[in-house]
Amino acid sequence: MAIHEKTLIDPDRILQHDHLVIDGVDVSGSWNTMISPRTLTDYDDGFEKVIQSYAGAENVHRCWQCGSCTNSCTMYAQNVDFNPRYWIYLIRLGLKAELLKDKDIIWQCVSCNKCTNICPKDVRPEGVMKATAHWLEENGLIAKTRSTMFDEEFTEQCIEYGRIEDTEVMVGFFKKSGQPLVQAWIVEFGKRLTKHLPLSQLTKMGMNVVFRPKTKSWGKTGEVLAEYVKAQKEAAHHG
Amino acid sequence: MSAQDTVLVVGSGPAGLSAAATVAAMGKKAVLVEKEDVLGGAPIISGYAKLVPSGEWAKDAIGRMVSRVEGDGNIAIHKQTKVSKLDGEAGSFTATLSDGKTVKAGSVVLATGFTHFDSINKPEWGFGTYEDVLTTTQMEQMVSSGQIRCPSDGRVPERVAILLCVGSRDRQIGREWCSKICCTVSTNLAMEIKEISPQTDVFIYYMDIRTFGLYEDKFYWKSQEEFKTKFVKARIAEVTKSPDGRLLVKGEDTLVKRPIVIPMDIVVHAIGMDPSLENPEIAKIFGVGLEKHGFIDKAEQYTNSQGTTRKGIYVCGAATGPDDIDSSIAQGQSAGARAVADLHGRQKVAV
Ligand SMILES: Cc1cc2nc3c(=O)[nH]c(=O)nc-3n(C[C@H](O)[C@H](O)[C@H](O)COP(=O)(O)OP(=O)(O)OC[C@H]3O[C@@H](n4cnc5c(N)ncnc54)[C@H](O)[C@@H]3O)c2cc1C
Ligand code: SF4
Ligand code: SF4
Ligand code: SF4
Repeated sequence: MAIHEKTLIDPDRILQHDHLVIDGVDVSGSWNTMISPRTLTDYDDGFEKVIQSYAGAENVHRCWQCGSCTNSCTMYAQNVDFNPRYWIYLIRLGLKAELLKDKDIIWQCVSCNKCTNICPKDVRPEGVMKATAHWLEENGLIAKTRSTMFDEEFTEQCIEYGRIEDTEVMVGFFKKSGQPLVQAWIVEFGKRLTKHLPLSQLTKMGMNVVFRPKTKSWGKTGEVLAEYVKAQKEAAHHG
Repeated sequence: MSAQDTVLVVGSGPAGLSAAATVAAMGKKAVLVEKEDVLGGAPIISGYAKLVPSGEWAKDAIGRMVSRVEGDGNIAIHKQTKVSKLDGEAGSFTATLSDGKTVKAGSVVLATGFTHFDSINKPEWGFGTYEDVLTTTQMEQMVSSGQIRCPSDGRVPERVAILLCVGSRDRQIGREWCSKICCTVSTNLAMEIKEISPQTDVFIYYMDIRTFGLYEDKFYWKSQEEFKTKFVKARIAEVTKSPDGRLLVKGEDTLVKRPIVIPMDIVVHAIGMDPSLENPEIAKIFGVGLEKHGFIDKAEQYTNSQGTTRKGIYVCGAATGPDDIDSSIAQGQSAGARAVADLHGRQKVAV
């Protein structure tokens, strides 16, 4: 059968000897190329359920592989390897190893929801992309994305102080994601801010950074909240 | 005519024509009420070409059904007429027609059919925007005319694309059913196009091919093997126009895993079968229920075949959901027989 999809051949399946002589005939290099078979040997039956347990992916089982999501997808237009239709197929059958081949681009979904708007089965592929990215992160299969780091910083501050302070969140986020605190756009932003905000407001912001006020009588609320969030997460994905 | 020997049949498509003929053949009288000025239903009103599976021209095949009914002394025909009121109950109904006449009938058969999906509701597929985007009914009319030409400039198309499931199987627009016949109709249409215009290549864009039962080899396989129809597994996302005036179909070829933007000369929408627009009114006038998609609801099918939710009123054909002509005819006969049995007052029904 003709190979109609060359990208399906992973480099490690191409077997080739640089120097090979058989029966006195030199068959070095591409003359001896072999491709080892790409046989899938099992399905991970529970995988679809795992992905479904993340918010937004509940409808993944409805997909019938029409390709409308992929075609409409903003990211697919940039990179044809970004293929929500294909990933949904892998998720449904539990072809985890195949899915992991694309682990480094799945998180790139920009949540434009074009897919969700066109899908004839109401699968909501955007939610599935998000869920898959979260699953990859939670299982340490990919590095934490910046948006997750931001979310974490934000949540930590909420839980500790009962409120957030913008500058603190940004500083924490930059530290977590290994970015320099001084960036050209921040400097520019600061300059414009000082130009337009009244002095009293600026002073208040400065004080907040230094003294970190808590919400009144926050007390143990933070701890309780943290417990609750943890329990919810565990119940959702491991219950 | 008395109520005891008359059945009122509403709608004169294949189902209604068959029901009326059955009633007359069983020695009773049928009053056939049709809202249009011609008999024959969708195949005649929309000018279908050759029918599946018989291969006969619609005007001949359905025409025969019409003349059988028109020539029958036991069948009274009211064209351009509707039922505006139904009084009484099973065994003694009185229907008031839109022309003021009244009809007494012991039982009623509803054969009010379906409404074609209006492609305007799927604007991304170009219907109403580009002249060379047509529906299957328009393409059937073109086949009947014996010439395959682009409506925009009269050129012979190099390529025709048929998009399946337009207005069917789509939650976005609340059509959660398969229209059952459009796959077969489309594979047949592809053959008809090729027959008239051998230089035209036909491509069918599909998600599933549902040429059920014996339609598999006779239409799907034949179309692919003998008439060289190409089948592409892709749901087209958008139809646009290229600067040279040809149409472009865009989508993902799911088997190749690649985006496609393919030039076409004509794009055909394989439109589905919607519940009749009349159904809410019919439900009210006749006091029958509708099922969740908006078709007329059927009673328990095993012993109360073709029954509705109301005693003495039967239903057949595409009024109950998407169906083909052969099944509509069979259901018409079944409903006709049930209605006549009511006149005899000899039915055992577990309701
Ligand atoms: C594009 C297309 C092609 C098709 N080709 C084929 C084919 O080749 N072979 C095949 O087997 N099937 C085909 N079908 C399916 C076929 O059209 C239906 O099976 C058939 O028409 C159903 O017959 P019916 O009598 O139930 O309904 P209809 O044909 O819809 O007839 C209903 C009749 O009732 C009348 N009516 C409606 N409401 C009222 C009212 N309130 N009062 C009075 N009269 C009323 C209508 O005017 C109409 O005359 C095709 C369908 C489509 C969409
Ligand atoms: S939401 Fe994500 S997957 Fe959906 S179309 Fe946008 S980028 Fe693509
Ligand atoms: S559009 Fe919906 S049904 Fe179609 S492939 Fe994408 S997720 Fe599946
Ligand atoms: S018969 Fe074919 S074209 Fe028609 S709705 Fe069903 S699958 Fe789609």
